[in-house]
Amino acid sequence: MKRARFGLHVLAVVVAVLFAACSAAAQTLHLPPHEKVVLKNGLTVLLLEKHGVPLLNVYALVKTGSAGDPAGEDGVASITAGLLRKGTKKRTAQQFAADLDYIGAAFESEAGADFSSVSAEFLTKDLALGLELFSDALLHPTFPEAEVKKLLAQSVDAVRGAKDDPQQVLGLYYDGYLYGTHPYGRPAGGDEVSLQRIQRDAIVKFYEANYAPGNTLLAVAGEFNGAEMRKKLEEVFGAWPAHTIATPTIPATAPVKSKRLLLVDKPDATQTYFAFGNVGIARTDPDRVAIRVVNTIFGGRFTSELNEALRVESGYTYGASSFFDSRKVPGPFGVFSFTKNETTVPAIDLALQVLQKFHKQGVTDEQLKSAKSYIKGQFPPNIETSRQLAQIIASHEFYGLGDDEINQLEARVDAVTPEIAKQVIQKHFPSENLVFVLIGKASAIGPAVEKYAEKRDARPISDPGFWPPEKK
Amino acid sequence: MKMIGRSFRTALLLSCACASLTIPVRGQEFPVVTKTLKNGMKVLVQTDHSIPNVALYIFYRIGSRNEGPGTTGLSHFFEHMMFNGAKKYGPGELDKVMEANGGANNAYTTRDVTVYQDWFPRSALPLIYDIEADRIQNLSFDPQKIKSEREVVASERRLRTDNDNGGLLDEQLWATSYIAHPYQWPVVGWMSDIEHWTMEQLKHHFEMGYSPNNATMVVAGDVSPEEIFQMCEKYIEPIPTHAPPPPVTTTETEQLGERRLIVRKPSQLPLVFVAYHIPQTNSPDFYALNVLRTVLFQGESSRMYQRLVDKDEIALDVSSSVEPAFDPTIIEIAAQPKQGVDPQKCEKAMYEEIENAKNAVVSDRELEKAKNIRLADFYREMRTINGRANTIGTYEVFFGDYKKLFDAAKNYSAVTKEDVQRVAKTYFGANNRTVATLIPDNAEEKSKP
Repeated sequence: MKRARFGLHVLAVVVAVLFAACSAAAQTLHLPPHEKVVLKNGLTVLLLEKHGVPLLNVYALVKTGSAGDPAGEDGVASITAGLLRKGTKKRTAQQFAADLDYIGAAFESEAGADFSSVSAEFLTKDLALGLELFSDALLHPTFPEAEVKKLLAQSVDAVRGAKDDPQQVLGLYYDGYLYGTHPYGRPAGGDEVSLQRIQRDAIVKFYEANYAPGNTLLAVAGEFNGAEMRKKLEEVFGAWPAHTIATPTIPATAPVKSKRLLLVDKPDATQTYFAFGNVGIARTDPDRVAIRVVNTIFGGRFTSELNEALRVESGYTYGASSFFDSRKVPGPFGVFSFTKNETTVPAIDLALQVLQKFHKQGVTDEQLKSAKSYIKGQFPPNIETSRQLAQIIASHEFYGLGDDEINQLEARVDAVTPEIAKQVIQKHFPSENLVFVLIGKASAIGPAVEKYAEKRDARPISDPGFWPPEKK
Repeated sequence: MKMIGRSFRTALLLSCACASLTIPVRGQEFPVVTKTLKNGMKVLVQTDHSIPNVALYIFYRIGSRNEGPGTTGLSHFFEHMMFNGAKKYGPGELDKVMEANGGANNAYTTRDVTVYQDWFPRSALPLIYDIEADRIQNLSFDPQKIKSEREVVASERRLRTDNDNGGLLDEQLWATSYIAHPYQWPVVGWMSDIEHWTMEQLKHHFEMGYSPNNATMVVAGDVSPEEIFQMCEKYIEPIPTHAPPPPVTTTETEQLGERRLIVRKPSQLPLVFVAYHIPQTNSPDFYALNVLRTVLFQGESSRMYQRLVDKDEIALDVSSSVEPAFDPTIIEIAAQPKQGVDPQKCEKAMYEEIENAKNAVVSDRELEKAKNIRLADFYREMRTINGRANTIGTYEVFFGDYKKLFDAAKNYSAVTKEDVQRVAKTYFGANNRTVATLIPDNAEEKSKP
């Protein structure tokens, strides 16, 4: 069945990205050559030619994401992105869909915490129409009232539907409980209440304030001719009028200095889904490569300490992992797993023991060596497709990272010593101050999990919103 | 979910693989070199030096259709046990050695096949062959590992089925669509079977399915056919062969009337799945059915999306899936009604669209669109070594010849509007239909912390 499994998937993807490192022993992997051009209107264009299959990927990164949502209207960035294809100066939503599908193109637009993105992929032979559709959505959306209402109503129900599957929403409760009212605590897609507050005006305002050439990076990767492509892009995007943007800055975040626990009651759950951790690191943290190595050992692969303990040795769960979701300012770090109601406490206890042991014993030389090989060996498929490459070069440009992020990764991974690993654990892996979020059957597990924190909160999963509770 | 795997990494859904059983233009774009080993295992190699990595897939022709009452889920459990120790690489060592050498693995099981996947830098090639040869021949059955792995699989079942509305409804839909054929039980197995398999049943299953002549190996990536064949001669060819699983002789009887089932559970949204019986993957109607499915379900311009999501605004999503299958199977249609919408309203709208497809031929533009979508999807699947290994293997195993992958363009071009109408009339009848509905039942929801 085509049913997306967001929560877990998101975590898994984050972990996968974080493992990303360089190539196998003898090989040194490099990003394919690419060039950067800034158009007169301020649009930064990144071009990467890649031959192999006749596909082309166009990716726009708009430098404002859900962290730029107006207070109380969580979801504006996401809804704005979702509406780009739902009516333009030239096409109704239906015409757009018909033209897009006719050439077998894929189109995605979404908002994350730090930025929004619009992506299209089509066969190289369909370049003219593909690019025209992409620019029509990015530059000329009209946000028809009927489409606004329709998408908002669908999005409210999508949140409700997601709550029927705990793994889809655990991350949203976790971010909310960890960050509170900080923008990173907001659900990027909004919630059942915030979405109903959003009016068309807020969407138009968000679009006008943020979708502008000076606030956008455009990456094109795939099979094309460089000179022709530059000319074509100037034709299509050069006319996008420049205007000044006041990019919202994201307030600093700092680790939580206490313990607390949120229990979300899902009365029919036969399994408890849990996450615990604290605020992690920024995308540009100087320790990021060492953290990647150390987290691979801790909770970032099948033979990680966490998965060995909770799955392989005890059979408590199908999977246990940890992740650093690094962002513009420090994003979340979390340990994540699930287990049947009866083993909720033993499983959480064990995960905590693994963390304590990690602090006490650090990593062995053998683990370090293995993690380095693993990261280097598993990296190349991360830069295999034009779609991946377009997103990587745009993301590097956005976060102010250079090509060395990949070209030097192998060397940086190899430079991690046991001493550095030890420092990284002390500095970046929380031990005492932990924020817990559990989704499960409160009547079965409630009293037993009280021991994890003196400060505790509880709410039924059927209540609208995530955390903090929405004021209606 | 019918396709369940060993760990989360299973990113490649088989339904995707099926959607892209489609139009390549010319075979020489992705040359494949093959060899059949003396013990009967066929090996297919697709060379690509663009990254220094390799994807190696082994397809065993054994799945839940080879099980029976009391042993449901054994193929999938076995898939897990294949990582839990053999003669040379003991319990836990396979993963440790593989990861320490830059490799990673996973596996998935369907009703028809069990597939093992290795992804690794080319430097790990001999090691991977050593590991694979070890576990095919000398798997160990440690009672302690069996005990803990049983718990892992039970947790996987709770994750994908018991605590997932879609997974739960899917299980009930198959169990009701089939009354004779083994496709009726879930790949993960019934919970009571997961708790009760015996060591003897496990050993018997291993002997039955894991013979070299019951397997196909596909290798894509930074390798040459010569070096792969050398590896195979050294590590795989000496493995003795034995009888493959006995043929599945039960055929499903014709469905003589609509079947309906209801699941009531606490839930915010209802859900409705509809199944129609269709032929097995290698049927000549495969291509026309795929075109029909594309016209009805794929993309926001598809008839079903336009009707249920866009125009009537009664559903959040509507989709279809067909899995590769050796035996006559079902097409599954899933509609996610909006909150408060009677699922039967979604049903009614879907049946009207199906009737439209029976009563009139699709337009030229729709036919053309379906073919274009197939072409683009084909390239999306073939752009990674991982996608290529899976697609080439799926064609070889389910169509009997990987070359069919390169004939698909021709086969799709041959599909006419009349063919599309004919398959709609043939397979999409009310008597051939099973409907599963999940109805929110929140009466006992309040439980006190």
